[in-house]
Amino acid sequence: MSTESASKFAWLDRLVDGFIPATIAAQREERQRARMFLISHLCGPFIGSVVPLTLFMLDPTPGYPTVVLAISIFAFWLFPPILRSIGRYNLLAFVSIQNLIFAILWSCYFYGGVSSPTLAWVLNIPLIAFMYLGQSRTLRLVFLAQFALNFLIFAAVHMFLPKVVDDTPLLALQGLGVISTLGAAGYCAMMALYYAKILASGVELETEMRGHLATAAELRSATAEAERASAAKAEFLARMSHELRTPLNAVIGYSQMLLEDAQDEGDQSGAADLERIHGAGHHLLRLVNEVLDLSKIEAGKMELTSEEVDVAALLTDIVDRHRNAAAANGDDLVLDLAPDLRTIVCDPKKTAQAISHIVDNAVKFTKDGRVVVSARRTLALEGEQIAVEVWDTGIGMAPETIPSLFENFNVAEDATSSKYGGTGLGLALSLRLCRLMGGDLSAESQLGVGSVFTIHLPTRPLARAAVADPDAWDEDLDRLQAA
Amino acid sequence: MPKILLVEDNELNRDMLTRRLQKHGFEVACALDGPSGVEMALSEAPDLILMDVALGAMDGWEATQLIKARASTAAIPVIALTAHALASDRDRSVEVGCADFDTKPIDLPRLLGKINACLNA
Repeated sequence: MSTESASKFAWLDRLVDGFIPATIAAQREERQRARMFLISHLCGPFIGSVVPLTLFMLDPTPGYPTVVLAISIFAFWLFPPILRSIGRYNLLAFVSIQNLIFAILWSCYFYGGVSSPTLAWVLNIPLIAFMYLGQSRTLRLVFLAQFALNFLIFAAVHMFLPKVVDDTPLLALQGLGVISTLGAAGYCAMMALYYAKILASGVELETEMRGHLATAAELRSATAEAERASAAKAEFLARMSHELRTPLNAVIGYSQMLLEDAQDEGDQSGAADLERIHGAGHHLLRLVNEVLDLSKIEAGKMELTSEEVDVAALLTDIVDRHRNAAAANGDDLVLDLAPDLRTIVCDPKKTAQAISHIVDNAVKFTKDGRVVVSARRTLALEGEQIAVEVWDTGIGMAPETIPSLFENFNVAEDATSSKYGGTGLGLALSLRLCRLMGGDLSAESQLGVGSVFTIHLPTRPLARAAVADPDAWDEDLDRLQAA
Repeated sequence: MPKILLVEDNELNRDMLTRRLQKHGFEVACALDGPSGVEMALSEAPDLILMDVALGAMDGWEATQLIKARASTAAIPVIALTAHALASDRDRSVEVGCADFDTKPIDLPRLLGKINACLNA
């Protein structure tokens, strides 16, 4: 089917589809049959009407038989709007077939009987009927019975009723024969062409469908492969973290022991060295823990508990744990809590971990300045939230480095971590924890002035979003296959 | 001198904690796994038990339950040592009858505080 001919008949397709009721349009097979039915009813009367027209022209006394025939043929134009409004397709198909049989047998009866020039139209009856009725065995049998009954009536009328005096001149009958046969052939050709068109578009659709299904299958196996790889990676990291933790505990524990001994004996330089080993051990342990947490989140294996948590108590606890570090840096650490914080439902450990890291950073990057931790309730599109703001007068950052701030081992933190300590993973982890809990983390900063980090957390955990839900995927695929 | 029974399967952790506790004036007995921990709770009659929960076939929770089930050892306070400070670990420690729980790596001053609190209770 070339695009040119497809577009040439596009108006016809639109006209045809305009008469198909929604109930039928949804079913592919029924839709195709309705299209055959409609094309036949819209175009058929143009071709069929050549018979009565010829009779009007050639027959000197056309009379009521020709008028009835003409009415019967033009009645086919009533079917499309009726189908559109009532939608009883099968019923209408049988009524239409009955009308067709009637028109054909009527003209045969009045114009030439069993040797009528309009007899060629009889061939079109089963062709049309089977195109209309589709695959149903019952409907086909009903049609055959209808066809037979009509012929029986025709035969009875022909035999028992008085013969009609056929006054049509022989020349008229011959002319009618030529025109009628051409009309019947034209009608048959039209239906055959339209059927071929539908068949071709069906094949095209099927090929396209197969392509889609193959792509879907490939996507599915690629997704499964990626999930396996991700799970394997997470498992590897979990094992690694455990394996790393055991010797690390020994390094931390023994260096702590030796440090205590050195301090007891007053060995200053030994104690300083041991303190470095001890500090490095702690740093490594934190790194291991954060890598494990990040890999868990990325593999979708991080599980959250949900408990009713008093916000003020949680924040007070976090801030108190940073008082020593703040004092060591000469910082003024202030907690500013709104009175209506009440409780939220969250994972207390993960929440504390995310907030704690931000406070830790603020204190770390601020010397002889101020760190303010404030919290209040806010109302966002997603619902009620707790906003925790950590504001400092520290070294700050150039605004353009903020977007990279939350990446794993980000450059901004990497450059400072050698001077200030830190793993380069903390902010990435905090952001992911916040997002996992249905919240968010954002930052604003100015170099040499300070930074503000804001954490938003829902007061009630949201329903988990269906991200890459395999069941939803299967439903989509089923719909595609059913189309 | 208070006597502590340390149930820990990792050699380095056991050695380290034993020495650090001894330095702080405790007498320390060691069990290498769950079943011997349960037996030594009876034979050594310690004042307190430090129980690593991640042991082999019989874990620390199960060993603690057995110790608490035996009348002669039920009164000995048990402090569970876990790898994570999870709420589930805390709940479990209460459920099996631990007096307290602490996380590894050991923060000795914190653990000493908990030990003294249990001994003075």
